[in-house]
This record gives sequence, C-alpha cells and structure tokens, in this order.
Amino acid sequence: MSGLLHFFSSHFSTLGHEFWPLLVGGLATGCIYAMIAIGYTLVYGVLRLINFAHSEIFMSGGFATFFLMRWLVGTSTPNTFETVLYLILGVLVGGLTGAGVATVLERVAYRPLRRRNAPKLAYLISAIGASYFLFNLAAKEFGRINFSMASPYVNHSLFTIFGAQVYMSYIIILLVGAVMLVALDRLVATSKLGRSIRAVAQDAETASLMGVNIDRTIALTFIIGGFLGGVAGYLYGLSFGVVYTMGFTPALKAFTAAVLGGIGNLRGAVIGGLILGVVESMSVAFVNGAFIDVVAFGVLVLVLLFRPTGILGERLGRSA
Amino acid sequence: MKFRSSKAVTLVAAGAALLMAVPSIGATAATKPVYTIGYEGPLSGGNAQLGINMKWGVELAISQANATGKLPFTLKAAWYDDQGSSTLSPAQAQSAVGNRSLVAMVGPAFSGATRAAEPFYANAGVATVSPSATAAALATGLTNNNFMRVVYGDDVQGLADAKYLVKTKSVSKLLVLDDGSFYGSGLAAVVAASAKTLHATVTTNSYPESSNCGGLASPSQYASAATSIVASGVTGVFYGGYYCDFGLLLGALATAGYTGKIMSGDGSESASLITGTSPATAANGVYLSAASGGTASAFTGKLEVAFKKFSGGTASSAALYAPQAYDATNVIIAAMQKATLTGSLESKRIAIRDALHKISYKGVTGTIAFQSDGNLVGSGAGQISFYQVTNGAIGNPIAHN
Repeated sequence: MSGLLHFFSSHFSTLGHEFWPLLVGGLATGCIYAMIAIGYTLVYGVLRLINFAHSEIFMSGGFATFFLMRWLVGTSTPNTFETVLYLILGVLVGGLTGAGVATVLERVAYRPLRRRNAPKLAYLISAIGASYFLFNLAAKEFGRINFSMASPYVNHSLFTIFGAQVYMSYIIILLVGAVMLVALDRLVATSKLGRSIRAVAQDAETASLMGVNIDRTIALTFIIGGFLGGVAGYLYGLSFGVVYTMGFTPALKAFTAAVLGGIGNLRGAVIGGLILGVVESMSVAFVNGAFIDVVAFGVLVLVLLFRPTGILGERLGRSA
Repeated sequence: MKFRSSKAVTLVAAGAALLMAVPSIGATAATKPVYTIGYEGPLSGGNAQLGINMKWGVELAISQANATGKLPFTLKAAWYDDQGSSTLSPAQAQSAVGNRSLVAMVGPAFSGATRAAEPFYANAGVATVSPSATAAALATGLTNNNFMRVVYGDDVQGLADAKYLVKTKSVSKLLVLDDGSFYGSGLAAVVAASAKTLHATVTTNSYPESSNCGGLASPSQYASAATSIVASGVTGVFYGGYYCDFGLLLGALATAGYTGKIMSGDGSESASLITGTSPATAANGVYLSAASGGTASAFTGKLEVAFKKFSGGTASSAALYAPQAYDATNVIIAAMQKATLTGSLESKRIAIRDALHKISYKGVTGTIAFQSDGNLVGSGAGQISFYQVTNGAIGNPIAHN
C-alpha cells in the first residue's frame, strides 16, 4: 500500500512539471485524431459502414502536401507572409486531394455495391482491398522510407502557459483544427446540405421520398470527410513526415476516438479525439513508453463498459 | 491482320534465334559449376536503406570475383528481402535453403531477423556471415556454429558508446531509450549497464517502433516523450534503435527544446536519418557510433569507382555496412576456394562453413578471423567509429574507441 502511494505521489509530482506541456501536445495530437475521426463518423452516419480506406485518404493529403511544400519551400526559410500563404495552400491542397481520393473511393469501391444492395461484409472487404491497393501504390510510386516535410514555418516557442512553452507547430494544428471542426459543425447543423446529411443518416428511404438526393448526399459526405482527412494528413506530415504506412495507426486511433465519442456523432468524434490525444500524452508520465497504447485502449474499454454507445451516444441525425 | 501475322513470324524467328544461342552459353557455363551466394536483409520497408547498402557490397564482390576468371566456379547472387523483420525472416531463410545452388549466405542484416532465421540456416548447414547483426546475444545465445559476423558485437559497441558519452562528453545524467527490438533493447541494455559502472545516473525507457517506420505505435508518442525528457533534466539521451524512429525522436526533442547530448548506435547511422528527420536541422550535433571497422570503413581508389557503379553514385562512406558486406562476401568466396566442394549440396555447404571457421582473410575493413562463437577475433579496440551530424551530413568518423 505504501508502495502504491509512493508510486502515485512520485508520478503526480513529476506530472506537476509536465502537466501543461503534455496537455498542449496531447490536444494537438487529439485535434488530428478528431479530424480523421470525423471522416469515419460521417460515413458511418449515412452508410452504416466503416470506411477502412480512410487511412489512405489521410495519406494522400500527406503526400500531396509533401510535394507541394518541397516545391514551395524547398530549403528556404519563409517569411511571415509566405508562412501564412503556404499554410493556406497546404490546407487547400491536402483537403482537396483527400476529397478527390474519397470521391474516387466512393464511386469505385462503394457505389457499385450500394446499387446492387450488397451485404455489409462486401463493403468491408471492398474497403480493405481499396486500402491495400492505395498504400501499396504509394509505396511503389514514392518509395518506402519516411520523408520529412519541408516546413513552411520556423518552429519556435510563441508563448508560455503555466511554464509550458507553446510552439508554433501546436498552435497551427490547434488553430486549423478548430476552424475546420467549428465550420463543419455549423455546416451540418444549419445548411441545407447538413439537413440532407442528417436526414439520410436518420432514415435514408424517407429522406429520399422527401426529395433528398441520396447519391449526391452520400458523395458530398465522402467529400467533406475526405477534405478533413486530407488536411489532417498535411498537419500530421508537418510534424512526423510522410510514408506509405503513415495512415495506419493514426486512423486506427481516430476510429477508436470515433467509437469513444459515439460513432456517427460529430461532436462525439471531436471529444473522443481530444480525450484520446490527451490520455496518450499524459500516460507518458506514468507508464513505460511501451504501454501508452495499453492505457489508451484501456480507457476505451472502460468508457464502453459504462457507456456502450460512447460518451455522447450514436446517431448523426440527432446530435448536430 | 496481315500486320499481326508478320509480327508473329518475327517473334517466332527471334525465339528460334534465342534457342540456338542458348546451347553456346550453356556450353561455357557447363565447364564450371554455378554456385549461389544469398543475401538476406531489408530491401524494402522503413529501414531498407541499410539493407540496400549491403546489397551493393555483395554485388560488387561477386562481380569482381567472376571477372577475374580464375575461380573454379561461377558465382551468382540471390536476394532475400526480409524487410529487417523477425516475422518475415524465417520464410526468407526457408526459401534460401531451398535454393539448390545456394551454398552460403551474407546476412541476415538485422539482429532480430538473424535470431529468427538462424535455426533454418543451421539445420541446412548453411553458413551465414552477417555484415551488420551486432546484438551481443547472437553469438552467445546460439547453439550452432553457422553464425559468423564481420563486425564487433554490441557488447563492444555499447561499452564504447557509454564511455564516449560519460567520459568524453561528460554526461552525468543519462536516459537510455530503446525501440523494443532485439537489436535496440540489447544495445541499450549494454549502454545502460556500462554507464552505471562509470558512475552516471541512468534511467531507461522504451518506445516501440512507430507506424511511420514499420511498427504499430503512434509517432506522436515521441512528442510526449520529449516533453517528459526535457522536464526530467537529463543531460544525455542514448537511443538504441533504427534511424527511422530515431529521426522522429530527434524532431520531437528539438520541438520540446532539449539541449543536452544525443547519441545512437549503428542502426541510426544512415543518410536516411537526415531525410527522415523533421526538421532536418534537428539531427545536427547528434553523435552516432558504428561497429564498422574503424578507420577502414570505406572503399578508396579503384574500388570506390567500381562501387559507385552498383550504388548509382552513392559514396561508400555514406553507405554504412557496404564494405562489411563486401568483406563478408569475399570471405565466403575465399572459404569456397579452400573447401573441398564435392558430393551433395549439403556436404558442400558444411565444407564451406567449416572452412570459414579456419580462415584468416585480409579484407578492406581489417583482418577477418572468427572465434568459435562466430565473433571476430580481437578485442575490438579501435573498431568502433564515432560520428557527429554536422550541417545535415554524417561525414567521416570524429573519433574511435
């Protein structure tokens, strides 16, 4: 018992030093998870399908912006104007590439199955097949090593919160992430397209009878999810570089985040992503690095034991 | 249609010409037996560059040996890509021993892959001469005599690294990290134990390989790790692992504002460390070590010119373990010339293995003779090179043990 007390007191006192830096870093990682998780949750909402190829949508955004940044930045050090311009271009190109790949996926891998009323298992296999095809294609075309991305900014400390240095890279991720997530929330809650998405999520057949174009709504859902996934690929690539396997673990984590928040629930995906990011980050102070994922998935199991439908519950239709 | 049939006639004619040509090739080859030397290492995957460096060395040695025209046999090379993985390695080893002209192996390249593959090579009597598998336990842990290596083990490298950090660079509070791999954790354990005996305060931690580098962990683990490292106030960090994950750790340490010393072993000594580190400047100042034959770790003169034909222009000084792979291949070729190659394939393989145990061969990296456990003869003094990344390049060794 005294040993246990000693463990906690020593680790909490360590966390005292590290709490704020770990929180900021965890929120940044969580923001990326949230942006990927949105893609899973949106598609699940309208199709009741887990898009396992979403990891490659994320990767495509990473690679497109890797080439863009290499071309724009190269080995130069951009000034403030260039930094802002390149970041905006990166977000646009990453997002549009993600949206493009998502559209192709929907057309090639899912729509033909939907037309033929294929069982859900067929979608799953189609998704896994598309995922393998895309990451092997990337490996063949771009090579198999991790490439660091030319950075459009100098990563210096901008300010301090409770002794924690807050770096440019975190601010960019948090800022871009916040803008994207709030914009999406408003889009789904207030626009006509958002109403269509919610209507299809609630009851596709009735929505269709009410004049909602199902095909168009599903295609746009993929585009929105793909856009966010592509942007996440860009932000992630800026910190960790790009490689053909880059989507695998972040997407698995984001899927976990979506389930944690309540699959099919947009705000749930955001909350799930942020919680997962922070839990992972904080666990470094308590456990050996090899057990970070054990802690993260332990939290998932605990949450699901008490709330089987996730923190905010399922249902895209209701939540937004 | 007319076009198609004329094309068909051309194809048939070309085929016939080829068939006529084959016997003449066969006639020259028939005078000499053809033997294959295999190479097992990562030719794809996140850490492929180290494996490709070695492939170049093997190709150079075999092409030179055939070009002399003095060998009583013709040599061929065969490539077995294990991606550096201990999971994929056994299948590659089985494929290699199933090759009915294969008499010996260069490799496996990575320690974990070597441990997994050795039983298959041992059963078939195939000698394996590794240019780079440095885990100390490989020599002591195996009960067979087919494992040999042309580099000194991590017991030598780890001790040298600890001395360099603690004594030369005055690191008193050292954090030793590893990637959980057989190689990485083995090297890290030697460094940690050696640094303790040198009276440094040592803490350890382990972060598994990330998904950007062929593992499963999230690369964001390094951001949290770096925060924790800065808060702990250590003055030195040693990383036992490979360049891909080490690059991610370096990026995170730079972001977190870490200013102490950083060092890693031969698994990180690759130009790909720089291309994979974000930002690349985060690698500057980092120390690296390699059990790579000390001062003679690169080709010179005509040999360097010949090497560049295989490496697409890459200098051997930037291709870690290429000279070791070249030496490993040549020591096998020398043993093949000393052994009596008669009887079944199995007896030829065993004859080569036994000849390797008796050989003393002067290679570009030094004199190669094996102890009974497969380790090189000698203490390894002067054989560990230390490097420092400066202006985005690893450059020449700055010191030796």
